Amino acid sequence: MYIGIDVGGTSTDAVLLSNGRVQATAKVYNTPNNLLSDLVQALDTLMKGVTADEIERVVLSTTVITNLIAERKNDPVGLLLMPGPGCKLQLYKKPNVHLLSGTIDYKGREITPVVEEEIIAAIDDFDSKGIDKVAIVGKFSPRNNRHELQVADIVTKLKPNWQVEMGHRDGGKLNFPRRVATTLFTCATKEKYQSFVYSVQQALRQRHINAQVFILKADGGTMPLESSIQSPVETIFSGPAASTLGAQALTPAGETSLVIDIGGTTTDLALILSGQPLLSSKGVMLDDQFTQVRALAVKSVPVGGDSIVEAVGKELIIYSERMGKPYCLGGPLPTPTDALNVMGLTKLGDIDKSWAAMEVLSQQTQRSPVEVARNIIDLFVDTVVTEIENMYLEWEQEPAYRIWEVMQSRKMRTKNVVGVGGGAMGFVPQIAIKIGGIPIISPYATAANAIGAAVAKPTMQVTLRADTEQKVYSIEEYGYQGKIEATPFGRDQALNLAKKWLLDRAAAIDIGDQIQEIEVTRQDVFNIVRDMQTTGRIYDVCVQTVRGIQWHVDAGGRLI
Amino acid sequence: MINKTGLVFFPAFDWSISDIHPEREERLLYTRDQIFEEGVLDLPEIVEYSPRVATPHDISRVHFCVPNVDDQVLAAHRIAAGAAMRLSDRIINKEITNGFAIVRPPGHHAMRVVHGNRGFCSINNEAVVIEHLRRTYGIKKIAIVDTDVHHGDGTQDIYYHDPDVLFISFHQDGRTLYPGTGFTDELGGPTAYGSTINIPLPPGVTDKSLHYVVDNLILPVLQDFQPEFIINSAGQDNHYTDPLGSMLITAQGYAQLTEKLRPNLAVLEGGYAIETALPYVNLAILLALAGKDYSNVTEPDYQPGKNVENSKVTEYVCRMVDSLQTTWRKSKEITIDQLCGSNKYYQRPKNIFYDTEYFEEKQLEKVRTCFDCPGYVIIDSHAIQPKLGRCRVLAISIHNRCCKKCIAEAWDAYQEAKKDYRYSYVYLQDKTEDTFITFRREDQSEWLTEG
Repeated sequence: MYIGIDVGGTSTDAVLLSNGRVQATAKVYNTPNNLLSDLVQALDTLMKGVTADEIERVVLSTTVITNLIAERKNDPVGLLLMPGPGCKLQLYKKPNVHLLSGTIDYKGREITPVVEEEIIAAIDDFDSKGIDKVAIVGKFSPRNNRHELQVADIVTKLKPNWQVEMGHRDGGKLNFPRRVATTLFTCATKEKYQSFVYSVQQALRQRHINAQVFILKADGGTMPLESSIQSPVETIFSGPAASTLGAQALTPAGETSLVIDIGGTTTDLALILSGQPLLSSKGVMLDDQFTQVRALAVKSVPVGGDSIVEAVGKELIIYSERMGKPYCLGGPLPTPTDALNVMGLTKLGDIDKSWAAMEVLSQQTQRSPVEVARNIIDLFVDTVVTEIENMYLEWEQEPAYRIWEVMQSRKMRTKNVVGVGGGAMGFVPQIAIKIGGIPIISPYATAANAIGAAVAKPTMQVTLRADTEQKVYSIEEYGYQGKIEATPFGRDQALNLAKKWLLDRAAAIDIGDQIQEIEVTRQDVFNIVRDMQTTGRIYDVCVQTVRGIQWHVDAGGRLI
Repeated sequence: MINKTGLVFFPAFDWSISDIHPEREERLLYTRDQIFEEGVLDLPEIVEYSPRVATPHDISRVHFCVPNVDDQVLAAHRIAAGAAMRLSDRIINKEITNGFAIVRPPGHHAMRVVHGNRGFCSINNEAVVIEHLRRTYGIKKIAIVDTDVHHGDGTQDIYYHDPDVLFISFHQDGRTLYPGTGFTDELGGPTAYGSTINIPLPPGVTDKSLHYVVDNLILPVLQDFQPEFIINSAGQDNHYTDPLGSMLITAQGYAQLTEKLRPNLAVLEGGYAIETALPYVNLAILLALAGKDYSNVTEPDYQPGKNVENSKVTEYVCRMVDSLQTTWRKSKEITIDQLCGSNKYYQRPKNIFYDTEYFEEKQLEKVRTCFDCPGYVIIDSHAIQPKLGRCRVLAISIHNRCCKKCIAEAWDAYQEAKKDYRYSYVYLQDKTEDTFITFRREDQSEWLTEG
């Protein structure tokens, strides 16, 4: 049996799955600073009549780190950057940032060395400010980490107790500003994340659960809780990933679907293409900065069931903010949820109050309450439909760098329209009709997040770049850089090396048995030519475990 | 209007002419690395787009591909041209202020008639954009500034008789570099005299003299012409490390040039110093277009005062600018009458060499010297293509502003040529109607594409 737990901002949702069936669900409203007891309470609700040793796996999704950063409760971090020549980014003109000498080029060749005195001066500065966490990031460090290691060495020698993070370890993709942000957030959240992990482990231990524990990542994959301590930022925005996977579990395998998650404040849109959730081409944005965290492509529309509705003249307007609960649940203003109540599409809270809310708007706009409710729903549906169309267009517009990618035309509209979240029942059928799709809403639509966490499979990816001219290779995901030993080293050797890395890493974190198949997602070869002679080759290879979910709940039955 | 710069990056990582050809996949690999690592695509001022694919009809608005578009044009060419078209659409729709198509393969050596690949080019990306802009949006006056080290002979050929398109090219003197053309006396045909300006520079020109040319010649001429749209054929091979050219221009020099030109659209052409120049020059140009600070973008080996210009070079450039200023001023007073007298046609023979596949084309180009319109062009072209063998074709192009009389004459010429056994193919490109007709003698078939 599998347990999925979604630790949200206001509540903790949990689900117990057995052979693709939902055995039990739990919802616990969070008590401040007492995650441990909330978790224990949720587990107790789930496990009535179930023994601890029947649990095979526990998967969590959490917004703990996202909220820490959003509320700026993270620890102060000193930044040591080696940006070299290139863009001047205003971003780095901040206190606690020191720009150091040391330049590496795109091939990983050193252009200018680091200067020790600068590093010592920076350490003194941090010391005087009481900063004991340092993030070190150099431009092109994924191609050559030598400078970062040198700087880290000096810091550790002088301040053995400081926490030090290096860019090449935290984000191996080429994108210096995103790598800076990722490393910074890792550094700033590690300590607090450890206490979250500790609470989870405590709760499970108290209920004698010895199953493997995983945490959901923003890209819909999972990683073992233990190893997630090294990269807490990977857990950010796992909420939207959980609901997308949940929707995937609630639809038939291999199909193409549009997922609409209607929450209180926002409506999140996602795409599942031939059974695979679409990944975003950009990294997750955190605190107005892009990071290197891979995420599912989720588009957030700023309207939800609790958005406020007002009359301006005779026009109705849905505002993107939330002022509290819907009127029917004691909130201050009319909301789309109230409109659904009046139209008889939902039965939430005090229906008379919903009528009263429409009554107010009805007087201002000189229309009947039913007409007002109808208008609000239409407005809501139109807003979402417009954004759906935009999302498709954006997807069609994704950059492509190879001929085959451009030539295969990207034009597709999904049939399945899967609704999850609180407002799904009322709105999704109407949205589906507008865009010519089939609405699918499971009875478990409101528990989709926890289900998504429960069914998520561990995923791993290895990106190898080998340069036979310089006889070096690097592994993007682990910041590893090594020498090419094999001769000759060709396409096959590059691919095998990448696969070996993938399997070794899987074994190291004890999920080797769960990797059945490896997919090659990219395989590029570039000739390096000097004076009309081929002097080497660059291999760019990306392999990953086949992405997917463990189960389809209720066989993905179409229930409405 | 929001100040945004569009980028289409299409490196065609899965296409090359051959393994060690200078125009190969690796050309844009380090540019990609540099641009990605700098994170410039995350800047709110820069928007990345995917390319579109130019249709055979888009290409037929410009070129007479012999025998057909599909025989000369690969997917990579169609995407490179389509990338530039996509940006031009976004610029006209005011989604972006300007755009940079960092694409390969390049195109400025591709001429009006295409028998094969010349100077790594098969179709002219800029010309495809220009015809698209004219046809779709009714834009009349367009300027192209070609900043590649090689003369943009293809672009010049296509617009030599077009008074609505100003073509300015500076390049290394044709006596020292491929394709060996682009001298100061090539000024456009009689109906478009003065709309072609060539600035052949001696080897060894640095940023200093280049900017002297820009400030004293290129910018005043542009100011005078008042184009509605400016395209920059942005070749990066004037760089001091380029293996093909002998110029001494830096990334900073290129960026300042871009800042002064303020092109609506820049389209990558040549540039073969793929490690030492392209990553830095392309980044600097992109930042300059987006109005961002590019002053920190320097080549790894750059030192101030590294490239010194010979004083003879400086003097030579000054003298040439002086004489070209005079030519430009006088060109406006020169009439068709003075150039052709009472001749109905102005005609010139041309020999065109296809350096990639090593064969020659012989052309006789005629333009109708009409006093009411830019006239129509007839090209009698003869080549022995390696694939097709001997092939003689007649191609007729009707300018979009042609008068009724010229249109009728051109159509008559087309009908006559269909009866002429010497031509295997006869083409008619009628820009007033946006139609393109091909006649094949072999089976007497005729087909038409229209927009």
